[in-house]
Amino acid sequence: MNQKARTRTQELRKQQQEAARRQTQRRRLVTALSAVVIVGLLAAIVWAVVDAAGGDDTPGATGDVTPPGNLSSQGSIPVGSDDAAVTVDLYYDYMCPACGAFEAANGEELTGLVEDGTVRVELHPMNFLDPTSNGTDYSTRAANAIATVADAAPGAVWDFHSALYANQPEEGTEGLSDEEIAGIAEDVGVPADVVDRFADRTFEAWVDSMNAAANQDGVTGTPTVLVDGEKFEGDLYSTGPLTEAIEAAAGGR
Amino acid sequence: MTAGLDDRVDDHPTEGRLHRLRHHDATVWATMLVASLASLVASFVLSVDALRLAEDPSADLGCNINAVISCGTVAGSWQSQLLGFPNAFLGLVSEPVVITLAVASLGGVRFPRWFMAVAQGFYTIGLVFAYWLFQQAMFDIGALCPWCLLVTLATTLVFFELTYVNIRDDNLFLPRGVQRRLEALVRSNLDLVLVVVWILLMVLAVVLKYGDALFA
Repeated sequence: MNQKARTRTQELRKQQQEAARRQTQRRRLVTALSAVVIVGLLAAIVWAVVDAAGGDDTPGATGDVTPPGNLSSQGSIPVGSDDAAVTVDLYYDYMCPACGAFEAANGEELTGLVEDGTVRVELHPMNFLDPTSNGTDYSTRAANAIATVADAAPGAVWDFHSALYANQPEEGTEGLSDEEIAGIAEDVGVPADVVDRFADRTFEAWVDSMNAAANQDGVTGTPTVLVDGEKFEGDLYSTGPLTEAIEAAAGGR
Repeated sequence: MTAGLDDRVDDHPTEGRLHRLRHHDATVWATMLVASLASLVASFVLSVDALRLAEDPSADLGCNINAVISCGTVAGSWQSQLLGFPNAFLGLVSEPVVITLAVASLGGVRFPRWFMAVAQGFYTIGLVFAYWLFQQAMFDIGALCPWCLLVTLATTLVFFELTYVNIRDDNLFLPRGVQRRLEALVRSNLDLVLVVVWILLMVLAVVLKYGDALFA
């Protein structure tokens, strides 16, 4: 009787120990698995950060920048007469909605001022908004297209520039396809053989270098507008203020 | 005898100070307090931005090169005004409630079961809303704003701690089996692991999608 009870107690204790052991084992396994998953995720994050930080240095830095022809002496795309009284520098990105708003307000005014010889516009296309076109690099593609036109059909640059903004895609979308960009160029009279060269992407490295140069010029956002080298601080999004500033600068001559 | 056995198994002599700290009331409520304060600050900033943008649509519309919030895109999208007013207003209204809850609980107040259950319900709706916005910002609007991210993170933490407390104190009127399983989950700290993994996944997603813009 006594013996039996003792055996039972022993068995019970054994079971108990066994259960506790399994419990501990399971807990260890879970802890180890959790640690592996967490460390793995941390490693992935570090890798992604390093990759992102390193990835962008290469395109601008590696030589092989082919600039388009017909650039002005300061290295941007000129629109208008060399003898114009006032120079207006535009730093912009074809994806930037604010630049679209700027064009909508001031595009026609600038067209008039260029045509009557008051203004020479210097275009500084940028591509820092490439990450906002779902991987299609719309900013770079559009800027490469304008550079190609500047290279081979400089007379159509301003019209093409305006048409790209008139058809501006929404930020955060894939942007216009290469075919759509080509169609817009053809519509404003860019010769077909020039349009065909968009696909060569010849000037992408140059666009990268323009973006880097703008950063060095102290451009912190787009649109940035310089009137005779001075940053225009007025209202960029309504018609009039910029024109007045330009006329004031022209009158001062 | 059976009860004794259970106690024995549930007692974790190996889990030391960290385990106790994590399950300490003060830690739980303090975390909730900090997270809800952060969320309130972010909501406030976002509300002010929204008002400024409403006053003058061209204000700050320029695309800042160094910020991934590009061009006021998030603030200008329809998703940011789902109910006809800026979403951030919801944070201004609801976060003070959470702050009060956390402070009162830190001070030793115990709220009735039904109160905590209702709080859980409302906060769950808030969490779903926060993640819907996060998902929209990531994949539809294509721009991230740091303040919105802070709201998402803080909402996650508050939800986590609130749920933890409600499971621990059996406030959710759940079937016994479910309740027991959830309690075991919490006791083994798996819930903490889940949240950490979840937050790291979010960080990874953000870095993968916006890394180029963030660290270029």
